[in-house]
Amino acid sequence: MRLLKFKRFNFFYDPYLLISIILLSFIGLIVLYSASQESSSIIIKQSIFVFFGIILMIAVSQPDPAFYKNISGLFLVSSLFLIVLTILFGNEVNGAKRWLDLGFFTLQPSELVKIALPIFLASYLYDKSLPINLKDTIFSLLIIGISFRLIVFQPDLGTSIVVLLAGSYVLFLAGLSWRFIGSAFAIFILSLPFLWNNLLVPFQRQRIATLFNPDADPFGTGWNITQSKIAIGSGGIFGKGYGSGSQAHLDFLPETKTDFIFAVIAEEFGFFGTLILLSIYTFIVFRCFYLSFNARDRFCRLTIGGLSLIFVTTIFVNLGMVVGILPVVGMPLPFISMGGTSLLSFYIAFGIIISMASHKKLIQQ
Amino acid sequence: MIDLQERFIERRSFIYRLFIVYFMFGGLFLLVLYQIFQLQVANYSEYEIAALENKTHEMNIQPIRGVIYDRDGKILVNNIPTFNLISIPNKVDDPENFINNIKNFIDITNEEENIFYEKFKRKARYNRELVVKTDLNKQQIASFQVRKHNFPNLFVEKRYSRHSDYPNILSHALGYIGSPSDMELANILSEAIHPRQETIFSYANGFISGKSGIEKTFDDSLRGDFGEKIYEVDARGKLLKEISHIEPSEGKNIFTSLDLGSHITANNALEGRMGAVVAVEIDTGAIVTLFSSPSYSINSLSNGISNNQFDALIKDPKKPFFNRALKGRYPPASTIKPALGIFGVQNKLIDWDFSIDDPGFFTLPEDGRVYRGWKKGGHGKVDLDKALIVSSNTFFFSLAYRSNIDDLAEHLSKFGFGKKVCLDCFDEDEGLIPNPQWKRNKLNSGWSRGDTVNLGVGQGYMVATPIQLAYYSSILANKGPINELSLIQNTTDNINSSMHFDNFQSSDWTQLHKAMTDVIDSPAGTSRRLKDLKSFQVAAKSGTAELVSLDSKEDYLLIRENETQRDHAIMIAFGPMPKPRYAVSVVIENGESGGAVAGPVAIAVLKELIK
Repeated sequence: MRLLKFKRFNFFYDPYLLISIILLSFIGLIVLYSASQESSSIIIKQSIFVFFGIILMIAVSQPDPAFYKNISGLFLVSSLFLIVLTILFGNEVNGAKRWLDLGFFTLQPSELVKIALPIFLASYLYDKSLPINLKDTIFSLLIIGISFRLIVFQPDLGTSIVVLLAGSYVLFLAGLSWRFIGSAFAIFILSLPFLWNNLLVPFQRQRIATLFNPDADPFGTGWNITQSKIAIGSGGIFGKGYGSGSQAHLDFLPETKTDFIFAVIAEEFGFFGTLILLSIYTFIVFRCFYLSFNARDRFCRLTIGGLSLIFVTTIFVNLGMVVGILPVVGMPLPFISMGGTSLLSFYIAFGIIISMASHKKLIQQ
Repeated sequence: MIDLQERFIERRSFIYRLFIVYFMFGGLFLLVLYQIFQLQVANYSEYEIAALENKTHEMNIQPIRGVIYDRDGKILVNNIPTFNLISIPNKVDDPENFINNIKNFIDITNEEENIFYEKFKRKARYNRELVVKTDLNKQQIASFQVRKHNFPNLFVEKRYSRHSDYPNILSHALGYIGSPSDMELANILSEAIHPRQETIFSYANGFISGKSGIEKTFDDSLRGDFGEKIYEVDARGKLLKEISHIEPSEGKNIFTSLDLGSHITANNALEGRMGAVVAVEIDTGAIVTLFSSPSYSINSLSNGISNNQFDALIKDPKKPFFNRALKGRYPPASTIKPALGIFGVQNKLIDWDFSIDDPGFFTLPEDGRVYRGWKKGGHGKVDLDKALIVSSNTFFFSLAYRSNIDDLAEHLSKFGFGKKVCLDCFDEDEGLIPNPQWKRNKLNSGWSRGDTVNLGVGQGYMVATPIQLAYYSSILANKGPINELSLIQNTTDNINSSMHFDNFQSSDWTQLHKAMTDVIDSPAGTSRRLKDLKSFQVAAKSGTAELVSLDSKEDYLLIRENETQRDHAIMIAFGPMPKPRYAVSVVIENGESGGAVAGPVAIAVLKELIK
């Protein structure tokens, strides 16, 4: 829809998404400066990520959606291949192999699967008639299952659940039969005890238990969530002021630069600050909502819908964890938390969303 | 390719399904928003406090203990600075190596070393200081100063210790300080600003509390109030900067009624013998002398004493810890006789003209049992005046024999016997006035007339403490009740006006004082040898408390071989007559003759007080 016509090429963009994402990125840099105890090296590194991220997003916006439709299979397969490489050769941190060291950059391939899987499913399902038949459903579930299982193997429960959800969103939006949804839901509920005992490792079960009773062990397993709540609560309505959050600056708050950065915002900018941040997120989400309605075809619709729902899911998993209503799982706050692959994957995702939204099918007049 | 109709259905289905998902997220959004609102707005104050508690670390600052003065303003107990070797464990990498390096120039005892290792880790973690050695001498300080540059983790700083210039003389009156028991500590901390926190100690030996004597009785006001320092800390408890500082309010000084000179005199006179001296200012009831012998050094007890030294004190057969002035239970012996005389006159059993013949013993009519006097052959014809001067036992045996025991016991309690007489003394014994009920309850036997007869000469079951004897002496001197005794100046306690000595007139008192003065001044007086020691007139009554009941002097000469069975020498005295200002009691254990042994001590103390 939006495009600037230059002599040699057309420039595709969406002003609302561009401005709000750039705004979020700047807010992120400002907050990160405080959350990193005024570390200039971290800010310089993150600024480079943000700069290249925005460039990447704009670049990714330019190709026609058909390009993504065509490469989606290759994208997914190579992402999954990278995960296999990671499991074989990755850097082991706290018993988990999630990163591939590329020298200048440590890549987290599971973040790529998060984007690749919904695009692939959208490209697979866009021409299937409603409701999706059993064969296509099973194929989609198989793809989702393989991706999910590989990431669980790393292990990385947080990302694997997001990937599972990403696939499910697309399948659902594409028109999965309600009967199937109903029976799948029933099976899920029935197999919960099995999942609890077999899928979750003890520390994950502990985290869920902690959620319901953080005061049981406030200095041990409950420490993070207890300190996070104190940080948020003590911010009050107007906050303690930029750089003045005692919870963040005196090391009471864990992971201030990554998972718990929202608590830093809440502590230093108060309820007003959190409302402003949530408003920007809400605006982006509604913009994506609107764009998906008006997408040029079913593939674009499904892709925009799937990618934007991953964005929403990531936000809520992070916020839910930080405010203490969901268990602690490693999940960054999009465009705010420090981080490499996860940040870049969201720039790419929004680049693709913009591409899907701004390229209109040429309708013969 | 799907057709247009299906495209329409597909788009509608997509929008419909996306709505469902968004609707679910909308609910989640409201839940998150509600939770944030709960945290930041509804329960803000709770979390604000939690954050404040997180980032602050309060430390109590120990106040400096009050100084204790004597009645002339002389310092009895003070705080003197000592220099401590203090380390910063956070900057010490290898504690054992560290201590060994210090050992090269300053002796560190095994105990000090062990304490250091014990506390090292915790102190290091929280970046607190740790005392390595207390009370360095000048040489040790100097040898540290020249090596200071090698020890960035070590410094010498001033701390206080409790000190008296007269550590052995006022031990029992002043008492000592020490580490508080758990209960005392809880009590101390409940008065501190922060209930259970670290404390910045002003004293070399940390928390201190009074353990006995004035240090104990007036512990609360001597101690003062804790100050506080608030630091900002990080999550690991590391102190970052000082936020606020409230100085402690120092302990209140105590101005006692004690007279230093009289204690020195008493100490010199007793020469380490077991005994006690108590003197009272009659007008005020102020205790000017509260001396017990032998004693111990309050300085070493307050500032740390080795286990061996402490054991030696505990096991010493002379019991230096025992405060004889307040807790020694002695038969008052003949010193009780003036009280008996007053009782006889009051109850019209005798008057000053009444006399008996003293053959040297009294025979109990009931069973013919013989109660002997101290002089073989007796004193002949004795009236009350002579009976007091020569200390006739027979006279008082027969007077007691005719007395109602319950009335007599009640009479004796008016002089302070059988109860506490001091308002603010630490751990005072009540002594005992026996009566039939007591004997039935305690000894499960009936009261005999012989028991009353024994009471007439202050023997038998009755026991009194030196402070009771001094109180008794003051009442005799004052011709009536006096203030409850106190160790503090300017007590405004009113005389207990309910106590009267009915039927004992002013003239009777004059005669009593005359008789008691003649105990020294008369050539027949039991303490006539003291006559030349004094420079003013003194009223007195001596006593010799028998520890073993014997029938003859010969028997006593036998048991006297064992020093611990010798009689106690007792003296009560007051002067200067005729307007007495001070009353005194002296007890010397196994000192034998009251007049000859305890008497000179009483005179010396009175002289010192009156000079």
